[in-house]
Formats: sequence, C-alpha cells, structure tokens
Amino acid sequence: MSTVEDYSQDRATIARNRRMMFRRLRHYVARNKTDYALGVFTTIVYAGFFVALPVTVGWCIEALAEGMPVEEVARRCTVLFAIAVARSGVRFFSRVRIFNAARQIEYQIRNDLFEHLQRLPQSFFFRWRTGDLMSRCVNDLTSVRLMLGPGLLSVAQTPVLLGATLAAMFYLNPKLAALVLIPYPLFILTSRAFGRAMHSSNLAVQVGLADMSNHLQETVSGIAVVKAYAMEGHTRGRFGELCEDLYRRQLRVARVNGAMPAVTSLLPMMGMWIIFLVGGQAVADGEMSIAEFFTFSMFNYELTFPIFIMGWVFNLVQRGTASVQRIDEVLSTEPTIADRPDPVDLVDPSGEIEFRDLTFRYPGSDREPALRDVDLRVPAGSVLGIVGPVGSGKTTLASLIPRLYEVERGHVFIDGIDVNDIALHPLRRSIATVPQDSFLFSMSLADNVAYGLPSTEPAQVLQAAERAQLAKDVAELPDRYETVVGERGVMLSGGQRQRTALARALALDPAILILDDTLSAVDAETEAAIQQNLAEVFEGRTVVIVASRVTTVRDADLIVVLDEGRIVERGTHQGLLARGGLYARLALDQAAMEQQASEALALEASR
Amino acid sequence: MSAPKGAGLNAILEEESLGKAVDRALLGRLWAWVEPYKGKVALTILMVVPMFPLELAPAWIVKTGIDRVMLGEGSDGGNPLDALLTAPEGWAPLVWLACLFLVVSVTSSILTYAHMLLMVATGQAAMRDLRREVFDHIQSLHLGFFDTYPVGRLVTRATSDVEHVAEMFSQGLVALVTDIFKMVGFASVLFIVNPKLALWTFAVVPFLVIAAVVFRLKVREAFRSTRVLLARINATIQETVTGMKVVQLFSREARNLRDFEDLNGAHRDAWHKSIWYDSALFSVVELASGITVAVVIWGATGWATAGVIYLFINYMRRFFMPLRDLSAKYSVMQSSMASIERILQLLDTQPAIRDPEPGWERHVAGGEAPPARGEIEFDHVWFAYSAGDDEEDWVLKDISFKVAPGEKVAFVGATGAGKTTVINLLTRLYEVSRGRILLDGVDLREIPQAELRRRVGMVLQDVFLFSGSVAENLALGREDLGREVIRTAATAVEADRFIMTLPDGYETEVRERGTNFSTGQRQLLSFARALAHGADVLVLDEATSSIDTETEAMVQRGIHVLMEGKTSLVIAHRLSTIEDVDRIYVLHHGELAESGSHADLLEQDGLYAQLRRLQQTSSTLAHAAVSASSTTG
Repeated sequence: MSTVEDYSQDRATIARNRRMMFRRLRHYVARNKTDYALGVFTTIVYAGFFVALPVTVGWCIEALAEGMPVEEVARRCTVLFAIAVARSGVRFFSRVRIFNAARQIEYQIRNDLFEHLQRLPQSFFFRWRTGDLMSRCVNDLTSVRLMLGPGLLSVAQTPVLLGATLAAMFYLNPKLAALVLIPYPLFILTSRAFGRAMHSSNLAVQVGLADMSNHLQETVSGIAVVKAYAMEGHTRGRFGELCEDLYRRQLRVARVNGAMPAVTSLLPMMGMWIIFLVGGQAVADGEMSIAEFFTFSMFNYELTFPIFIMGWVFNLVQRGTASVQRIDEVLSTEPTIADRPDPVDLVDPSGEIEFRDLTFRYPGSDREPALRDVDLRVPAGSVLGIVGPVGSGKTTLASLIPRLYEVERGHVFIDGIDVNDIALHPLRRSIATVPQDSFLFSMSLADNVAYGLPSTEPAQVLQAAERAQLAKDVAELPDRYETVVGERGVMLSGGQRQRTALARALALDPAILILDDTLSAVDAETEAAIQQNLAEVFEGRTVVIVASRVTTVRDADLIVVLDEGRIVERGTHQGLLARGGLYARLALDQAAMEQQASEALALEASR
Repeated sequence: MSAPKGAGLNAILEEESLGKAVDRALLGRLWAWVEPYKGKVALTILMVVPMFPLELAPAWIVKTGIDRVMLGEGSDGGNPLDALLTAPEGWAPLVWLACLFLVVSVTSSILTYAHMLLMVATGQAAMRDLRREVFDHIQSLHLGFFDTYPVGRLVTRATSDVEHVAEMFSQGLVALVTDIFKMVGFASVLFIVNPKLALWTFAVVPFLVIAAVVFRLKVREAFRSTRVLLARINATIQETVTGMKVVQLFSREARNLRDFEDLNGAHRDAWHKSIWYDSALFSVVELASGITVAVVIWGATGWATAGVIYLFINYMRRFFMPLRDLSAKYSVMQSSMASIERILQLLDTQPAIRDPEPGWERHVAGGEAPPARGEIEFDHVWFAYSAGDDEEDWVLKDISFKVAPGEKVAFVGATGAGKTTVINLLTRLYEVSRGRILLDGVDLREIPQAELRRRVGMVLQDVFLFSGSVAENLALGREDLGREVIRTAATAVEADRFIMTLPDGYETEVRERGTNFSTGQRQLLSFARALAHGADVLVLDEATSSIDTETEAMVQRGIHVLMEGKTSLVIAHRLSTIEDVDRIYVLHHGELAESGSHADLLEQDGLYAQLRRLQQTSSTLAHAAVSASSTTG
C-alpha cells in the first residue's frame, strides 16, 4: 500500500517486530490493569450465573411438571428471577469495565501518536503520505480497540463459558451433550471463513467508493476544463462505469454479509433439532426428564452467540495485531531532532548565523547532497539574500537555521553555538519563518497570528498585523480578528494568507527572521507596500530572504547565489550585477520577462 | 481573543443535523428512483407473508412434540394445522415432527437470505441511479457554484450520503417495519394460545420496553457526540500533519498536545457515556428474556402445559430481540432522511447557466444558421461574481468592443482589473449580469453550451491534467479525434518532441494532477489540446509562472501556431507577446481605459505608454548589467 511497507523483511526482523509489538501492547494493558483485572474477574463470575440459569430453569420446570405445591414453584421462580437479575448486573459491569478500558487505551495511544508525530523530523513527513499516517491514527487504532475491547472480552469469556456449560451438559446427559456439539466446530470454521470473506469484500467496496469519489473530485477540480471542452458526456460515461462496478461489489458484500445471519440463525436450529429428536425420544421413553429437556434447549440457545463470535474474535485479533504493528512503525521511529541531554538555553540571542563548511544531504536519500561546502557568516542585524534557480538549495539552506533537518555537529551556529547544542524550544522561539506556502490553521485569524505565542494577546496580535500590512484586510473580514480561516472558514486570498503568515512570524518578535520566497505570490502593489514597511521591521534583526526574483533581495547587505547546492557568487546587488555571472543572468531573464511591467501597471492602477 | 471553539463543531453539527426519521415528502421524492424497480419492491413485501409463519413454526412444532409425544397429552383438536402436525402412517410421530422442523428451519433461512439479497440489490440499484443523477447534476451546474460549495462536500453527497440512503433499504425502513410487525405477531399468537398467561407475561413488558427505549435514546445522543468529536479529532490530526513544518517552526507542540488531549479526552468521555448506556441496554434486554422465563413458569402453574411454556419462552425471546436495535434502526432512518434532504437540496440547485429550450428560434430573421466566422461582440457588458447590488462588486463595468473574424486582440491590466473575467464570460462559464455577448451576431444565451465551447477554444493559465494517458488528456473525451489528429496538433506546437521522450510516449500515465510534467510542458500540452479540438475562436490566458528560456521560446512559437487563422483573445500578463496583435485593450478597475494598436497606444501616451517606458528602463538596467559584465569579464 505505502512505500514504507514495501521493504522486505527477513524473518528475524519480523520476530523482533512482533516482540516489540507485544511489548507495546503489554505496556498499554498494564497501564489499565485494574480495569482489565476487574473486567476479567467479573466475566468469570458472569460465567457462573450463565451456567446456573438454564439449570435453574430446569429446576423450576421440574417443580411444575411434578406438580409440586404452588409455593415451591414460586420459591424456585424467585431464585430464577434473582439469578437473571444478578447475571445481567454482572454482565453490565464487566462490559463497561472492559470496553471503557479499551477506549482509555485508544485515548492513550492516540495521544502518544500525536505527541510522537509532533516530535518527528521533517524528513519523516517526506517519506510518509498524510493518508498513510491518518490511516494509522484512524483505522488501525479502531482495529486495536476492537481487539482490546470486544475481542478481549470474548477471549476472556468464551473459554470460561464454554468450559462451564460443557461440564454442566456432560454431567446432565453425556450422550445428548456429545450429539448437540456436533455442528459447532463446523460453524466456528465457517464463521472464520465468513469473517475473512467479509473483510476482503468490504475492502473491495471501500476501493470502489474511493475510485468513484476520486473521479468525482477530479471532475469537480477540473470543472472549468470539463466545461470548456464539453467533456460532460465522457466523464458521465466513466462515472457510470464506476457506479456499476461499485454496485457489483456491493452485491458481493451483501451476499457474504447476508449469509452470516442466515447461518447464525441456522446453528441453534440444528442444535435444537438434535435435542428435539434425540432428547424428545428420551423423554417419551422416560429416560430423561422434561426439566432436562428444557435445560438443554436453554443451553443450546445461550451458547450460540459466544461460540459463533469465537471465529469472529479470531479475525479481530488477527487484524488488531497487524494494526499494532503498523502503529508501532510510527511510534518506534526515533525523533532524530531532539534536545541533547544537557542543552544550552539561548537567552536573548543577537542573531548571528554561521554556516561552517556545510555539506548537507537529506537523510535517507542516496541522492547528491542538497548543499555543498557552504561557508557563510551573517552578522547579527544584517540582511542576507539567497537567490538561485529552482532546486539550487535556497530553501534547504534557510531550513537548517531553525534545525528543521538533521545536520551534523560543527556546521551550523547561532551566536557561535552549534544548533545541535541549543534546546529546540528557545532556538525556534527566536527564529521566525514565513514559509513559502503560508500554511494557516483553521482557527480564528487572531489565533493564527498568535500561533507561536503562549497565548493570544490582543495587543500583540494587533501590532503584528499592523506591521505585516494585514490590518486593513482584517477590517473587511466578517468577524474581524475572530474570523475563522481555512477549511471550514473564510477563504483568504493568496496575498492575505501571506500577510497573515508574515504577521504570525512578526508576532514572535524574533532575533532572526526568515522569509522563504514569501512575496512571490503577493501582487506587486502589495509587495512594494510590504517592502517599504519591512525596512522598519528588519531593524535590529538578522533577516534571511530567500527569493526567486532578484528585485526582492536588491537591498540586502549580502547576497549569495546558489547553484546546485554551492555558493557560486556573493556580494551586493550592484556588485553582483557588475560581475555579470549567474546573478546578472537571472536579473536579465527576469527583466526580460517584464515582471516590472505589471508592477508598474499595478502601481499606476492604484493611483 | 480566544477562538470561538464551537465554530468548527457547529459546521460539523450542521452537516450531521438530524431531524425526523420519516419524512413523507422526502420519501415521496425518493420514490422517483425506486419506481423503476417497483416490481422487485412488491416482491420484497410479498415475501414477508410466507416468511413470518415459517419463523413462528419451529417453536410450535416443538411445543406439539412436548405436549403430544413426550408428555402424551393428545391432540388439541381437529384443525388443519393439527392434521399437518399429525404423523402419517408409518412415521414415528417425533421423527415426522423433527423432519418438519428441519424443513421449516432451512426454508426459513434460505428465504431470509434471498429476501435480504433482493432488498439490497433493489436498494443499491436505485442508489446507483441516484448517484449518476447527482453526478450529472453537479456537472451541469454553473462554474460560480463551485466557488461556494467545497469539493469535499460534493463528494460526500455522492458517496456517504447516498450510502446512508442505501442503508435505509438494507437495515432501516424495511427492517424497522418488519421488526414491529414481528413483535406484534409474536404477541398476538401468544394471546390467542393462552390469553391468561399472555396477560400475566406481558405485565412486565412495558417496564422493560420503556427502559430499553430510554437507554437507546441516551446511547444515540452520546453516540452522536462521539461522531462529531471523532470528526474533529481526525480533522485536527490531518491539519497538524499537513502543517507540521509550521507547528515545529513555531514550537507549538506542547500547546497543540494539550488541546489535542482535551479533545481526545472529550471523545473518550463521550464513549464512556455511550458504553454505559449501551451496556445497560444490552443487560436490560438480556434481563428481559431471563426474567420473563421466571414469570412464565410461575404464572403457568395450573394454566398451561409444558409445551405452551416452551412456546412462551421461545416467542418472548424473539419478541425482545428487535428491541436491542430497534432505535438503532431509528437512527439509521434519521440519518438517511438527513442525507436524502441534503442530496435533494443539491439536486434542487438550478444551474444558473442553461441551454436554450429546444426549438428556440435562434435567428430573428432567417432560419438558417450563418456560417461560422468567429466574430465577437461585447455589448454593454456588466458583471459581478456575487449577486449583491453593491456598487463595488462590479468586476466589469459597461464593457463594449467588437472583434472581427480572424482578428487578434489582447487584454492588459493589473490583477483584478477583470481580464480573466472576460474569458469566463465569453465561454459562458459565468453569465453576464447586464448587457450581452454575441458570437457571429447570436447572443451566447441562445447557443447550446456544448456547441459554444466547441467553437471557442480555451487555454487556461492553470493547466489542469486529468489522471489517464497523455493521449487521453489531449483528446479529452472526444473519441472522434483520431490518434493522427492529436499527433499532428502536438507536433505543430512542438509538444510531440517531449512526449516522445516519455517512457510510454502518448500512452504515458499522467500522475496525480500532472506533477510529472513541468510548467512549460503542461502549457504545450494545453496548446495541443486546443489545437486538436479545432475551435474557430481562441481564448488564451497566458501563464504567469516563469519557465526556462528554451521552453519559453517553444511556448511563444506554440502560441503563434495556435492563433493562426483564428479570432484570438489573449489575456496578457507579460507584454512581449502582444506587440503585433491587431488591437490592445487596457482594462482598469473593470472599465475599458484605452484601446488601439501598440503604436496608437504609445502615441496616446496613457497607461499603456507609461507601462512601456517603465519596462524599457528595467530592461535597460539588465542590458547595462550585461554590457558591464562583458567589459569587466
């Protein structure tokens, strides 16, 4: 399914994984051992009442059949009544205990997963698709819970119930007991087969649904093209095929799923048939009492469910263990970017950045290094511009400053301290990045701006929004700063998103500010306005500007030009133009593309 | 300034809002899809008639066996049922009964299975038709609709919502009715067999039924909040994973975890509540069948035979069985109704842009359509994306211009000046608010959309590639376009060269949204697309994103090939391509500010001229840089 699972596993690895998996599971069960202990104990008590009930029914019938006085019948019925109440009460308790414990474990694993995911380095998220991680957090967690809840309940309960019942039945009438049991093993096997078939046909339906919704999603996303090229008939035909296919898959599920209740209803029927034929004859012949007949028929019905569910539970456990293993893949991934045992606290840093003889390769990739032999010192309070063609390593270089990727010791320094030695929290707290895609969260605008702050303080939000030229946009939003943005909220324009991301960075009041090609999507009018204002914001900070347009870095104190991971040129705007190297060439290309033309037009338009 | 925490939750709740379990009006409209299958529906209902007696029979047979054979109490009387239960000559009475028992049980199982299959097959077939209609309808909606309706929700309509409606067939309505029918049936038979014992037994029933219903309602309530919370949990995980870079850059981990633990804890607590009620319900039902046995035996003293007691115990157990999930079925019904309502709401959304009525007289004067020439006229066109009358919402204000067949014109202007809107209106992806647009003298509203779009070829800025092969992406469903036509078109715009270097040439699969193609390649593909489709009017929205110089040259040559002999409208984001067009229109705040040839406009010394001057200085700067470098180097 995912590339991550494709690696071949030798037997030793499998064994080790399984051991680790059990250790993981044991850890969670142990954390909830009181619940489980109580749950299992009450299950055993329940088994006692479970067996007692049919026997008591026989006992009551006996009183009735032998014409005992009404008082005796009433007395025995009261006992039966009490047992029924006690049985249900105990059952209630054990169910609640064990199911709650399973939910508690689900809660704990989900928290642990979430916490762990947040600690994993960026390189991890390159390797794993969001969908695969989501399926760990949703589907696999559900499988684990089903195994630890209903699964464990049955595993604890069925042997006890079965043992006690069988003992009682054989004690009462060994011959009949043996006969009644004949169909059961067959049914356990069938139910297992059903479980498997159901699982696979359900998966087939999921795939069919996914195909169908992908087609719909694609059609809607490309609706302009669909309409422009009058493709409606074509897409309709394709969708029709997918619907037909899904329909066939659903019928298959119905055939398998529907067979299940048919078989479950047949099983007690078979048992009853044997009791009726053999037991009935024995009663007629006077070899067995009518009370015993009742007891047996009660046992027969009561047993059906726990026995049938055994096959089911087997599948639950199988799927659950596979899921624990899949969850374990995530949880056992070492967070490679973490504080060292005794980290340095970065107090009020000046913001000096230094790259010393840095060669960097993305972890786990066999490709060429993304950066080679980078030597660069950015004095505190200065502005560094990084330019270069697409894929030259600009963003990578900037990402190493807040330690987004694993970098060896001795190459990247802030205020002269190796970034690996600085505690992560203060490090990242003093560096603010405006990322390329200006990702915002679906929360209020104020909360987005205050994202890096311990809490959302109006004064800080307002100040940051003002500085990022966001304030005038906010005035036009329906709920001002309380407007919820993103997925389920108001859609902001590209420029508004970037200004929000900028405000979010400025709210940190960082010593180092990184602008990762931030202004490329903002229209020129706004870029000009922001840049004017930025000079003020840059005051007293070290600023790193990653840009694809040379105009963006024009005023930087130092500009480095990257090409294939190397610094090929460095200097000021004028100096680099005069050198006539890659920088001048980029400048020429971009001028030829007349970006400035549309800027001028925009400026003109705004007058 | 804390976030309104409920905002997201409310949106989900709104999506999940539940109302009536049975809404006659909604069901009436749903019938439209079920009707083609009404024969099968009738059969499903008719099948219940033999199924129910078959379900009653086995216990009755055992009762007869107990009373007549085991305890030898003799026959009850001479009714036809008794005659059937009396063994014919040569059969031992018990063996005869046992055989009947076996036949009845197996037949009953088979019938139940067949009934279920028929029910699901009918329901799913109707749902398949519904799904197709939903898809068709979505496609027919105007482009503006998609700006306001998130893709995810549209997908939900055609997938989960339809699934919910299907559940109504498999486990909702029919099962609910059958269950109630059965409960009444079991009770009736017991009252006929032994009214006194039945009265005595059913005395305890109301309490149990009330308890069961109350617990079920509680379970449903709790269950609903678990679903909402789970949706929020998953949304949070998804968002956090997607934005993990920002999370880590802003050291938000601890605060996120705290919030997540709260949410996760609320979910767990909701489940604990749900489990409590669910287990209570489970136990009540178990208790019900347990204590009724005691009640029956106690009450039977002197009133009933052992066989009747057996019958009572058996039927009472079956009587209580549906209680366990009666209201689960009720919930299924509720969510089905909510889904039907949402689907119908979507189906009720009228496409704002429609084809003319068939038979609509297109030409005021003559009957014959004029030969296609490609003349375009905007006649006092006003347009706003939102329907409001707000003065400031106008994107285009009173635009009028005329493009003669074969002419090439360009539109320039700042972002938001309304350039792209001109395209959207010309292809009728949006409808003009006022005024009209004419193609060869005919109002666009009088031309069927398919015909219009075959005539007006469009190259969009954002090249959308569908999953499928390269060839499929060029043909875009037009099966009449042979491989030759496609190849010729691709060759003409120089796309053939790079396509042939792909692993499978024209059969190469396009990966998710075309990520395996560069921007330039995608543009060439879109040119080939437009050329192959052979429109006589071409609308070209130039790409803004920068591409390498070599591809840029190819793209420019491609544009020229594409525009040859066609009426062309170019939305220019860069100015270099448009110097030789016949006319340039400068859009400014939704109005036509200037128009004329390149030379005219320079002479006018207005917006355009100013623009050119600024452009000149910037390229002079670059040239200076180059010459400086050549002297120093």
